[in-house]
Amino acid sequence: MTKRKMFFRMITASLLRRRSRMLIALLSIAVGATILSGLVTIYYDVPRQMGAQFRSYGANMILLPGEEKPLTMERLQEALKNIPEEEVVGATPYRYVRLDMPSRQQSFISAGTDFEEVQKTSPYFSVEGEYPENTREILVGKEIAETLGLKERSSVELSYKTTAFPAGTDPGDIQAGKVLSGSAEGFNKVLLSADIVLDEEGKIDSIAVDAAYQTPGVGSQVGTDQAFLDQFIGKKPPFSLNTPDSEGTQQEENTEGVDAVSGATISSQAVVDAVNSAVFGSSEGGVIVENTEHFTVSGILSTGGEEEAYIYMSLKDLQRLTADETLDVAELSVSAGADELDNYSRAITDSELDISSRLVKRVTRSEASVLGKLQALVFLVTAVVLLLTMICVCTTMLAVVSERRREIGLRKALGASDSSIRKEFLGEGLLLGGLGGVLGAILGFVFAQVVSINVFGSSITFQPLLLPATILVSMAIAAASCQFPIKRAVAIDPAIVLKGE
Amino acid sequence: MALLELRNISKIYGELKALDNVSIQVEKGEWVAIMGPSGSGKSTMMNIIGCMDKPSLGEVLLDGTDISKEPQKVLTDIRREKIGLIFQQFHMVTYLTAVENVMVSQYYHSMPDEEEALEALERVGLRERAKHLPGQLSGGEQQRVCVARALINHPELILADEPTGNLDEANENIVLDLFRQLHDEGTTLIVVTHDPEVAEAAQRTIVLEHGRVAREILNENFGKQ
Repeated sequence: MTKRKMFFRMITASLLRRRSRMLIALLSIAVGATILSGLVTIYYDVPRQMGAQFRSYGANMILLPGEEKPLTMERLQEALKNIPEEEVVGATPYRYVRLDMPSRQQSFISAGTDFEEVQKTSPYFSVEGEYPENTREILVGKEIAETLGLKERSSVELSYKTTAFPAGTDPGDIQAGKVLSGSAEGFNKVLLSADIVLDEEGKIDSIAVDAAYQTPGVGSQVGTDQAFLDQFIGKKPPFSLNTPDSEGTQQEENTEGVDAVSGATISSQAVVDAVNSAVFGSSEGGVIVENTEHFTVSGILSTGGEEEAYIYMSLKDLQRLTADETLDVAELSVSAGADELDNYSRAITDSELDISSRLVKRVTRSEASVLGKLQALVFLVTAVVLLLTMICVCTTMLAVVSERRREIGLRKALGASDSSIRKEFLGEGLLLGGLGGVLGAILGFVFAQVVSINVFGSSITFQPLLLPATILVSMAIAAASCQFPIKRAVAIDPAIVLKGE
Repeated sequence: MALLELRNISKIYGELKALDNVSIQVEKGEWVAIMGPSGSGKSTMMNIIGCMDKPSLGEVLLDGTDISKEPQKVLTDIRREKIGLIFQQFHMVTYLTAVENVMVSQYYHSMPDEEEALEALERVGLRERAKHLPGQLSGGEQQRVCVARALINHPELILADEPTGNLDEANENIVLDLFRQLHDEGTTLIVVTHDPEVAEAAQRTIVLEHGRVAREILNENFGKQ
């Protein structure tokens, strides 16, 4: 048998056969190592974990169309290639339009989106009922639902008006006989409204203007001055206001000119705009094309925010309804640090895509500061725990040394040199550290897993490098803690074994 | 030449002279008993002979070399190489088996050799108890293991401190028989005891009183038992 073999036989026998004391030392090292490896695991996992937590506060990156090209799904996907796939928690497209609810004579801002992504980027959305899954299902904001008395499974009609002139059509073909309303801002941005009826040829048949809130006696005349209103009768919209200048009266091309009520030019212009808008839906040329569909309410949305005044439907439904595939905005939830986010954002803005990217600073900044504090805290706790472990191991080893005074004396009497004694105790310490380290690394993973699941609600991945690292650190700590006890052991006088004490 | 010679050694602790100008010689192969009441200086002398202490004055010659001025490290080497120790309290490493306890001595001396250690145990009649822990052995058995441990490295001198102090008569006789065998093989034995029967087993008895050699008695019956 070699000396080394005997050495290991002795130190393992010491650990295995004198269990009680060594078990305490082993336990303290294991606990230290557990906390160490557990906290280190959490330390490295915190950004990911907390990132995921922060992601529940909503998007941290916003993509908007650039100056020239509109934003579309394809271009959004292109932009997403600038961010590592696994860091993209969600990317939600939004298109906002105002849809009318003819039965209620009201209109609401309606958003077309991807509900699967919505649940990732806006986890705070609280839906009573279900998210829409089928086509023609909508989510209705709580405010709308309350106002209109809508419930789950309620049916609503939504219509979208476009102002394009479909080829070969005439406003009169479609609108004849109906009362059409339009409004426009008059003096001091006060609204006035106009109701008109078109005849079969698309000419104005009758007109009534409500200008009661314009300046009394001045702007208000546009609603009562029959001569002014009569200018519209029998003419085909669109209209424009004649602008008198030095060369006589000018009027815009392809429009019917109308003379303003004297002293009330702004209110007069408002009447022209209101009439045009009544016919065309907007002041631009074209005919109103109304596209109406029936939808079923699948859920009521509460957020405590402005979303409660919106109607949400799938992007496909909205695109079909509006015959338009552009997006207004995309909200991204990216699980990355502030610096990385900055880089991604810049990469997207700087790319050829003509998409502008913005970070939601209040989210990203607070993330960075909270993460920094958390990591500092974890680091501090680890340091304190390691210190306590050292104290505990040191105390235990001191007790072990005093308990084994006789044995140490005997070994010295049998010819053990100081360095032999030192080696044996260090060997036992390192063995303890190693065993404690293995135990701690395993328990630490379990500990981190439990903490992670209970606190963050998600599991963590095992870091293979942490096993040897924990063992090494535990051994180093055990060795360091043994230094003082070893000094004591070496100082023991071999003569104590003579004469029974 | 004497294996061990103490020349005018004194050990002084402050006012107290534990040993006062003592001179003794032990020849190679001799079996000497050291007797004396408590406080007579037995332990001090034992420590000095066992290289665990140094005299305040005087010389200690082991194999002709003065070791009284050597540093502790050298004394440890000498103890390891030349002296086998047997104690009153046996002193075994409690968590090692009988054979491992014997091997500890080999380990510090040179190279552990389990077979040789088992042979040593056989010699003290304990081969079949080799795998037992000290707690599973009787006092007499433990002391026999210690004898095996003391002789495993073939020391020139076996120093026994009250070797039978904690043993019953039967075991005392077993141990004394082992000493006789060792003596017959030419091992030098120094046995410190207060038991006249143990002392009588030796060739010569040195009686200490108040730190001095009071008298030396030659055992006339030696070898007749």
